Amino acid sequence: MAIDLLQKDMRNVWQNQKAEGAPMSLEEIRRCARKLYKRISRRNLREYIATVIVVLVFGFYAVWFHSVTIRVGSGLVIAGALYVAYQLHRRGSARTSPEDCGFECCLDFHRRELERQRDALRSIWSWYLGPLIPGLAVLVIGGELARPPGFRHHWIAFAVILTFCTLTFVWVGKLNQIAARRLQQQINELDATANQQ
Amino acid sequence: MLYEEAASDFGAALGRLARAYEADPDKRRDLVQEIHVALWRSFGKFDGRCSLRTWIYRVAHNTATSHVIQQVRAKTPTMVGLEELENLSDKNETETASDQHHALDRLLALIQKLKPLDRQVIVSYLEGMDAASIGEITGISAGNVATKIHRIKNILARRFHEGGCHGD
Repeated sequence: MAIDLLQKDMRNVWQNQKAEGAPMSLEEIRRCARKLYKRISRRNLREYIATVIVVLVFGFYAVWFHSVTIRVGSGLVIAGALYVAYQLHRRGSARTSPEDCGFECCLDFHRRELERQRDALRSIWSWYLGPLIPGLAVLVIGGELARPPGFRHHWIAFAVILTFCTLTFVWVGKLNQIAARRLQQQINELDATANQQ
Repeated sequence: MLYEEAASDFGAALGRLARAYEADPDKRRDLVQEIHVALWRSFGKFDGRCSLRTWIYRVAHNTATSHVIQQVRAKTPTMVGLEELENLSDKNETETASDQHHALDRLLALIQKLKPLDRQVIVSYLEGMDAASIGEITGISAGNVATKIHRIKNILARRFHEGGCHGD
């Protein structure tokens, strides 16, 4: 009897709580939906702009410089950047979350999304860093070898440049592996949530 | 139009649902907007195979659960299972809930500690639904729902009582 009263109290307290804010009009809803769509479009646009900049800069190199090494290197960088943009678009676009199914299917969706992002980060060398290496290697190493003997960098300076480029790639790769491990932890947490059933 | 009907009949309930999922008022405002946008979009797919109420709550709970999962990714809030909640110390909750406002705060604080599925179940229960309707919304069996409700409401009632609720 006492428990029944308390439960009635809980429902009473819950259902009689003061409403927050004014109800949203249909126009406001439409505005929010447009804002959401624009946010996603802006993110995609940033990726495409970065690719366009790479293509323009290295396209300019390929046209302006007559060295075969620079032309080949620039062409490879452009090809790599286009491939990366395609992969970013393919892997990065967010799926629409399911709206009309139960709890388990909602969690499944989020798990699949996290797995997709984790796998993309784990394989970063094959689709992001890797495709950029041939072009950059040709430009840095080939460019150096193509210089007339009197105009080459000192071998120590060249070694420093090469090491810096290599370490930058390794560092980016490592950061992505760390991010992939974090996503795996989140997947484990989500599994723990799913197992509560 | 279905959305307008949903917003007028369930607007207040959706606001209460958002409170169960998000404690921060600014983020809660965003969550309420997200829920309304998701609902507005979802009605294009509504085929009448379940009741309008079930549809609305499914969409709202899924949107709110997605919000919680994203929040967990941003920073880890403490969510506990029912066993842990049963054993949690009351030391941090010793203030007296002397009126409706405090009683609601206490109730919300407890609900916000629950994992998403338990939260879906108890919020639906507090909205006055029976086990079968909650099962339809959450996708778990009515028997499972009934067991969960029994456990959760006893925990909440015990904690609520300890806080000295005066609901009226």
